[in-house]
Amino acid sequence: MNIFFYIAAVVAIISTIMAISGKNAIHSLLFLILSLLAVSVIFYLLNAPFIAALEVIIYAGAIMVLFIFVTMMLNVGIENKNGNKLTNPRKWIVSSILAAILLVDFILALKNVPASPSVDQVILPKQVGISLFSTYLLAVEIAAILLMAGVIGAYHLGSQKKKVTHRFLEKK
Amino acid sequence: MTVTDFLSLAPLIIIAIAPVVIMIVISVTRNYKVVYGFSILSFLTAFASIFFIVPAIPHSIEPLFVIDIYSLFFLGIIIFSALLVTLLSYDYIKQLDGVREEYYIILFTSTLGASLLAVANHFILFFLGIETLSISLYILIAFQRSKDSSIEAGIKYLILASVSSAFLLFGMALIYTALGTMQFNGIVSALGESGQLSPLVISGFAMIMVGIGFKLALVPFHMWTPDVYQGAPAPVTAYIATVSKGAVMAVLIRFFFNIRGFDNRSLLIVISGIAILSMFIGNLLAIRQKNIKRLLAYSSIANMGYLIIILLTGTNKGIQASVFYLISYIITTIGAFGVITLLSTCKYEAEKIEDYKGLFWKRPWVAIVFTLSLLSLAGIPLTAGFVAKFYLIFEGMKAGLMVLIISMIINSVIGLYYYLRVITAMFSPANETELPAISLTGNITLCLITISILILGVYPGWLIDIIMKFVNL
Repeated sequence: MNIFFYIAAVVAIISTIMAISGKNAIHSLLFLILSLLAVSVIFYLLNAPFIAALEVIIYAGAIMVLFIFVTMMLNVGIENKNGNKLTNPRKWIVSSILAAILLVDFILALKNVPASPSVDQVILPKQVGISLFSTYLLAVEIAAILLMAGVIGAYHLGSQKKKVTHRFLEKK
Repeated sequence: MTVTDFLSLAPLIIIAIAPVVIMIVISVTRNYKVVYGFSILSFLTAFASIFFIVPAIPHSIEPLFVIDIYSLFFLGIIIFSALLVTLLSYDYIKQLDGVREEYYIILFTSTLGASLLAVANHFILFFLGIETLSISLYILIAFQRSKDSSIEAGIKYLILASVSSAFLLFGMALIYTALGTMQFNGIVSALGESGQLSPLVISGFAMIMVGIGFKLALVPFHMWTPDVYQGAPAPVTAYIATVSKGAVMAVLIRFFFNIRGFDNRSLLIVISGIAILSMFIGNLLAIRQKNIKRLLAYSSIANMGYLIIILLTGTNKGIQASVFYLISYIITTIGAFGVITLLSTCKYEAEKIEDYKGLFWKRPWVAIVFTLSLLSLAGIPLTAGFVAKFYLIFEGMKAGLMVLIISMIINSVIGLYYYLRVITAMFSPANETELPAISLTGNITLCLITISILILGVYPGWLIDIIMKFVNL
């Protein structure tokens, strides 16, 4: 069982290193998605399919897609346009191999369920929901205030002065 | 949730509702004075509510909260210092261009995070409190967006605080793996009577110490302190130096005494090492500083080094000494940063020692408050700092921590040198610089601080009696 964990962990570490050392923002973000997927495989191996699904839906799905859209709209990394052809395998070979390894790892792990011997109980969404809204209700409410502080901060630090004219009418 | 639960959480609930109300007010109309008045009123209400919930305690809301006299005491300290910072912020924040009312919203959310640390009995609440506090602090530090140094300090704090949070979380996870509980009082029973800690638990404790050490700015996790203190707006610096550190100290003392950390030899050695390093490095680096905010930053590193000595005493008396020390440190530090805040404008931060040259001849009253605060930080008799240090040394000697106490005394002497350097600058002949006018709220706050420093220095008995009667873990 352990071998599946180690493969996923190595994929996660390598792709995270690639994410923080890359020069192209989009490539870094794609590596980050790969790293999050690898982490979700680890969660699955630990008999926590719900957390694994959340990891994919929330991090790899929603947040990363948002990141990528913002990065694309800001035109970061446009300068090396010419080097980005798909015919150049150096650009995609590492990430493809890593993703392929992760996929094989995951499929083999699927066949070998039950996964981890150390955790004997599978935690389902119902249990998570019940404990979030009974035992840890106050913690959820505090998390709401934390998010509120974050939103206000993002608004304050990110807001710009109001423009009177439309941007198309501005003189360059 | 029962009525008692709600009642015992009253101060926290008031602090949580206030920012929402301010947001609604802002959405109707932006009025700086109304928001400011409402903030002060809310802090006062929260502070007053602490006295009303005394009959309801000790009360615990399983599994997250524990509300006892100890947590109420720290809640009082946190809310009162937040109130003082709010009082001082009026002029400084008012001069900012752009929106300003958000400052008070964030001040409330960060105070909520700090208050949660005082009532935490569970790793989840511990972490949520620390995160609420630090996310609010990123925003407060970088609040003045037009200034590069503010943004730089904000980003520095953001990155280093995230790393330290990661350490903290990893440590908690390791302890949970080993012991299967996240409640502070559950950990000690899970550890068992043997006293022998497994490597997993020890590495968990070590990682938690890294996270806490970062928040308290203990050596070797102190690198961010001078830069952040210098870059942040002056009232926010006061807030970081007092509220944030006091709250983390509250949770550290509770955690450490709950797990009986003082019985463990390796933890004792690590903490003594951190304490001695913090004292010496903090004081020695402060000597050459020309910037008063950086000087106070290094002095706060040294002060936290003195303060964690009491963790090693392992007695209730030690906790009482630390609470007294913390109160006097907070009042004194708010006094010092309060003077800096009142003499600064958002355009020009009065942070160089030259800015204080001849302050006594221009603004005698402000110079006296500043002198008093610095003397109290140095531990000169007739000020609160002296009694606090005396109390700390007394308890440390009783516990037989000779090496630590001797290095604390050596460091007090080193500290005196750089505090006196600032004081001599204030009494030297004046130069011609314009000083901003000081508002009524500013004067009231300085008055309050002066009186408390003197009362605690001359007649500390009543407070020590209160602390000895109530503060027990």
